[in-house]
Amino acid sequence: MGAFERIRDKLTFWRSKKDPSSFAVLFDRFQTVLKRNNEILEIMADMGDKLGGDYVFDRQYIIDITHRLNDQVYKIIYDLNMLSSQKYVDLYHAYERIHSQIQAELEGKIAYADERLVIDFEDITQDDIASVGNKNASLGEIKNVLKLSTPDGFVLTTKAFYDFLVQNGIDELLENMNIDLERDGSALEALSREVRDKILNGNIPAQVAREVRNHVSAFRSKFKKEKIFFAVRSSAIEEDAEHSFAGQYESFLNVPDDKLLEYYKKVIASTYSVRAWGYRLQKGFYEHEISMAVGCQLMVKPRCSGVLYTMDPISGENDTMVMSATWGLGVPVVSGETPVDRYHVSRDAPYVVKHMNVVHKSEMLVAKEGGGTETIEVPEDLQHKPCLTSDEINHLAHVAMLLERYYKRPQDIEWAIDEEGELIILQSRPLKVQLGYSGEFCMLPDITKGQGIIFEGRGDVVQRGVACGTAFVIRSDEDIEKVPFGSIVIARHTSPKLTKAIRKALAILTDIGSPTGHMATVAREFRVPTIVNTGIATRLIRTGEEITVDATQNIVYAGKLKELCLYELTQDEVFEESYEYRLLRRILRKVAPLNLVDPHDEKFKPKGCQTYHDIVRFVHEKAVDELIHIGEKSSKWLSSGLRRLDLDIPLGVSVLDIGGGVDESAEGNLIDANLVRSIPMKAFLKGLCHEGLWGSEPVSVDLGSFMSSLTRTFSTSVATPEQVGKNLVVLSKEYMNMSLRLGYHFNIIDVYISENVNDNYAYFRFLGGVTEITRRSRRARFIANILEQHDFRVEIRGDLVIGRLKKLSKKEMEKRVILLGGLVAYTRQLDVLMKHDEHVNHYEEEFKKRIGELLN
Amino acid sequence: MSAEEKTRILILDDEPIVCKRLKPAFEKLGYEVEIFTSSSDAMARIKEQDFDIVITDLKMEGVDGMEFLSAVKERSPATEVIVITGFATMETAKESFQKGVFDFVAKPFKISEIREVVKKAEKKKKEAGG
Repeated sequence: MGAFERIRDKLTFWRSKKDPSSFAVLFDRFQTVLKRNNEILEIMADMGDKLGGDYVFDRQYIIDITHRLNDQVYKIIYDLNMLSSQKYVDLYHAYERIHSQIQAELEGKIAYADERLVIDFEDITQDDIASVGNKNASLGEIKNVLKLSTPDGFVLTTKAFYDFLVQNGIDELLENMNIDLERDGSALEALSREVRDKILNGNIPAQVAREVRNHVSAFRSKFKKEKIFFAVRSSAIEEDAEHSFAGQYESFLNVPDDKLLEYYKKVIASTYSVRAWGYRLQKGFYEHEISMAVGCQLMVKPRCSGVLYTMDPISGENDTMVMSATWGLGVPVVSGETPVDRYHVSRDAPYVVKHMNVVHKSEMLVAKEGGGTETIEVPEDLQHKPCLTSDEINHLAHVAMLLERYYKRPQDIEWAIDEEGELIILQSRPLKVQLGYSGEFCMLPDITKGQGIIFEGRGDVVQRGVACGTAFVIRSDEDIEKVPFGSIVIARHTSPKLTKAIRKALAILTDIGSPTGHMATVAREFRVPTIVNTGIATRLIRTGEEITVDATQNIVYAGKLKELCLYELTQDEVFEESYEYRLLRRILRKVAPLNLVDPHDEKFKPKGCQTYHDIVRFVHEKAVDELIHIGEKSSKWLSSGLRRLDLDIPLGVSVLDIGGGVDESAEGNLIDANLVRSIPMKAFLKGLCHEGLWGSEPVSVDLGSFMSSLTRTFSTSVATPEQVGKNLVVLSKEYMNMSLRLGYHFNIIDVYISENVNDNYAYFRFLGGVTEITRRSRRARFIANILEQHDFRVEIRGDLVIGRLKKLSKKEMEKRVILLGGLVAYTRQLDVLMKHDEHVNHYEEEFKKRIGELLN
Repeated sequence: MSAEEKTRILILDDEPIVCKRLKPAFEKLGYEVEIFTSSSDAMARIKEQDFDIVITDLKMEGVDGMEFLSAVKERSPATEVIVITGFATMETAKESFQKGVFDFVAKPFKISEIREVVKKAEKKKKEAGG
């Protein structure tokens, strides 16, 4: 849309203050925001779906869908700004930032969003993958999220790598190479030599060198040593992810800190060795996808070290993990050049050792004084001794299973045990395992035969996959923090707050929620098997119960079906090695993750938007706020075009119908309540006018004597006709915005209900009262409790209660709005009655009894 | 099932990912599959060998998919052609149907979708043949 139209729209907005139809115009814009919000979530879900592995898609698809997404995100920002008279122009900056990163991905340029050159391991998680490479990101995650022990140190980032290439003119060399490397072996060899020479003789950018020096001296003073020794390890983008790249790049042990930069160059030079380059070409990598981060880890002085496979990749035994161990450093275990101890250990706690092969170990590799490594003789008494005690085996097995559960693939783990006996994880990466199954048709029917089914075919599969584990049912926000690693999370409804638990979850089941909602998108990002909208998960499953979720067949089994999980763990995943998969996933990383979870967080600003999802979430929240705000303002200047609603209860309500809210047959200025067609209003009136809620005293027989004192001072119809005349409701078929002054308090109820789950929401605000603050806050607590029990997100500030609800099905939304109607009627003067704290509970029970029949 | 009895499928798409995904999927089901990303190579191949089923993209660089499917039908009318394309406009779809295309699958598609279409084409061929 051009500038002219923008101005015209703005003029319409201001002029509209005198024009009753303007609300309709604004409401129309609001609905556009909703529609677009939904469309964007659908597009994101569609893209996420493609990563699930079920679809065949090509590059053209990625280009087309990204284009559609860009367009919609831009327009929703525009829509919000039209709705709010340009309050959120900063969103355009956020859009530009993200859009240009995505564009760079599509054009084959790695987007250097992160400007950091050196990052401490303490600050690294999986999210930093583009800056620190797969291996370092995974080590950071193990250290900072799983809280396992890993070496201290820092990473020279991909940005540092890029700066180095630019400073030494190597980037140009690579960009301009014009030979078919794949077919021309000698050309590859010559170019490889040239690039490596340039790297080894290149200059480290001054800023990089300075930051490395600062980190080194910080470690020197921390450990009070004059010299620190490091293991310098490669960590390329995509290395260790779907591709093993095992041994393609170089790593160096026990490097003295003054030689760190020299060895740094050696590691990045190995990026362009003939072997590594050839491997990438063979795997179909493009040159621009390659970026090397380098980890500098403080040298561990191990008593013994080794490798652990969480499954036996050779025998294909499903229930056994394999540990290899030797004295000193672990290189001989990895390279397989000398015999080492081997332990076959059960994958189930308490991790019984099934088989143990202790060999004669005459030599060991150790760190040499002054740098490098050397092979020395193993002390006589240790040569025939097993490296690991049974306690150590047990601990190692436990940690290994934790890692496998977390990464959802069998793991290949490098570990060390230092002289103090502490277990240190040096590396953990996916291990490819082939199961003993033959033929393309698996034995799935055999595996699941006779297994008890808790429920099947209910709800919507959000992310395919299989998981077995122990259930953890979330009942409150606090529970989200308590989810143990490796749980199957069961929740009443999907919520952005649940995303906090996603990394700990093996699978997620919810009673209600939308397959295109925010949480669903994140579940796909993390590949957590997820089924939403099951209706009954929290009722049928208890915390601590062992279950198996099969989100490929949409079945939840009682008990752990280990074979089913193993089958999934070892599926062939060639698809995930394709360029298109990687490209789509990289783009999705800038689209799908949701960082703006809590609207009250100070980061909930346009500036805080890191992905399209953040932008859309922000827009949605603010659009609802705007509409409520406009609804409030409108009531001050609206006078014509209003009709009155004829109700059985003594309440005067003015109605503004902006489309489909009232039956066309309604004539004159008084509308019969039966002619209301607005879905939310009908529900609301049902609760509001229900006998026993409005009509009678909210008094229980048990409290009769206490109550009698009150009826003397207050009558049921507290509101006078002058007061009730000010109530306003704006209606459409799917929408109602009601401002209600009932006696001494003030309600705003803003609801949208349609067949489209993603559009649905309810907002309830309650304020005021005539009594002193303590009683009013008791009533506030009563309202909050009721709302919370019906899935509202509730905030209380003094006697102000705000309840929000989103994305339930039409039927469920209607129930909640009937409840709101009932609540409004019932609480008109409840504050007066709330003399004691116990009354909160009492009235809760009483209200539930009275509203009960309406909600069933 | 011996090699001679296997149903032969030729797949042509200039995006290698499509061929890479479809080949193993059909081979697992017991089909004999040849894949091409260059339409001129595919064109040369159909002159040497008749296929039972041809799966081709419509919009590619170089030779037009429409030209290719015409050539296939001309040489071997019994071959069933399945068109896959991302530019699924009604016009091109209609045009391809006129040329005797068996069915039309819009990209992106699920592997199960194209598998079903291939099975149907196979059934039709068998009924016609015997």
